[in-house]
Amino acid sequence: MKNDSVSLNPSPGRRAASYWFIDGLPDLVSGLALILCGIAGLLWRMYAPSSWNRYYFVPVGLGFIAVFWNSRAILEFLKSRVTYPRTGYAQPPDESPAPRPLITLSLNPRRPVDDNVAYSRTWAVMVIWWYCIFSLDAPLERWAAPVVMPLLAATLYAVNRKSESPYQWWSALILALTGPVLLWVDLPPLLRPLAPLLLAGAWLAAQGACTFVGYLRANPCPQATEGVRA
Amino acid sequence: MTQLIQEIARLDRLIHEPARLTIMLILDGVGEADFLYLQREGGFTQGNLSGHLTKLEEAGYVAIEKKFKGKVPLTVCSLTGKGKAAFAAYSQRILSVFQSSGAADYARP
Repeated sequence: MKNDSVSLNPSPGRRAASYWFIDGLPDLVSGLALILCGIAGLLWRMYAPSSWNRYYFVPVGLGFIAVFWNSRAILEFLKSRVTYPRTGYAQPPDESPAPRPLITLSLNPRRPVDDNVAYSRTWAVMVIWWYCIFSLDAPLERWAAPVVMPLLAATLYAVNRKSESPYQWWSALILALTGPVLLWVDLPPLLRPLAPLLLAGAWLAAQGACTFVGYLRANPCPQATEGVRA
Repeated sequence: MTQLIQEIARLDRLIHEPARLTIMLILDGVGEADFLYLQREGGFTQGNLSGHLTKLEEAGYVAIEKKFKGKVPLTVCSLTGKGKAAFAAYSQRILSVFQSSGAADYARP
């Protein structure tokens, strides 16, 4: 589902940044994390006492913070078993460029062209998160998902367009179309505010799963446990 | 022209070899990488890469160490401080050679 951006980035640093996303695990883990957060919120709405019921965003938020904090460790664990034995280890990209001695006074600083730095994971998850916070707002009710999903898809596509892990336009279109579809499907009121979070999580996980399967097919399991030693 | 030739003669021959230059370039951009990643990225054979890495390690340009990622052992290579300085000096020198000879114009579209 993703462009093969590894071959489009000529500098070794940018290739290494793209390499982080080559197996689809970052998207898969982020997507599953968002789904779990949504399920936690749903369970809270179902089983919490009525006076506590409206605080369902608390488990969602706490779950999100916990996963976001530990996602690097989770990914390192998975990659050490799946990716590194197959295609090798390259230093994971930083999430922000290293501080430079020269301070650029600009609201739109130039992105590093050759650094091993990744933006898209943070972008994708944060964008989904902020839109889903917006959809938790009660007055939107039935219109939450139909309004939020196309906006979310457009934003995700736009902010990731030139990143090391861009999304295909048709993939973003699928996400956008889930919004209008939800106009016809009458979701239970319990599920309505959490639908965007669950849908976005499922979309992200599906992206990751497709990339992951493609990666495993292209790189079958090696014989040795450590790849090749120097 | 004589000065230009002298500049060329002063290029670090250890880095100037294409395979080793590729290794230095990859490690400079990536930070650290294991043997398998270098092999795939540079299109090396095992023996070829091993030989070049040994030379770079002997010169103190590359550090090779065993690391554990999770419980999986990896042979990780990275540029040392000396290696980074040598690569920066080499890049600067070869760039100035191209610029002063006018050869840099060929690279422009």
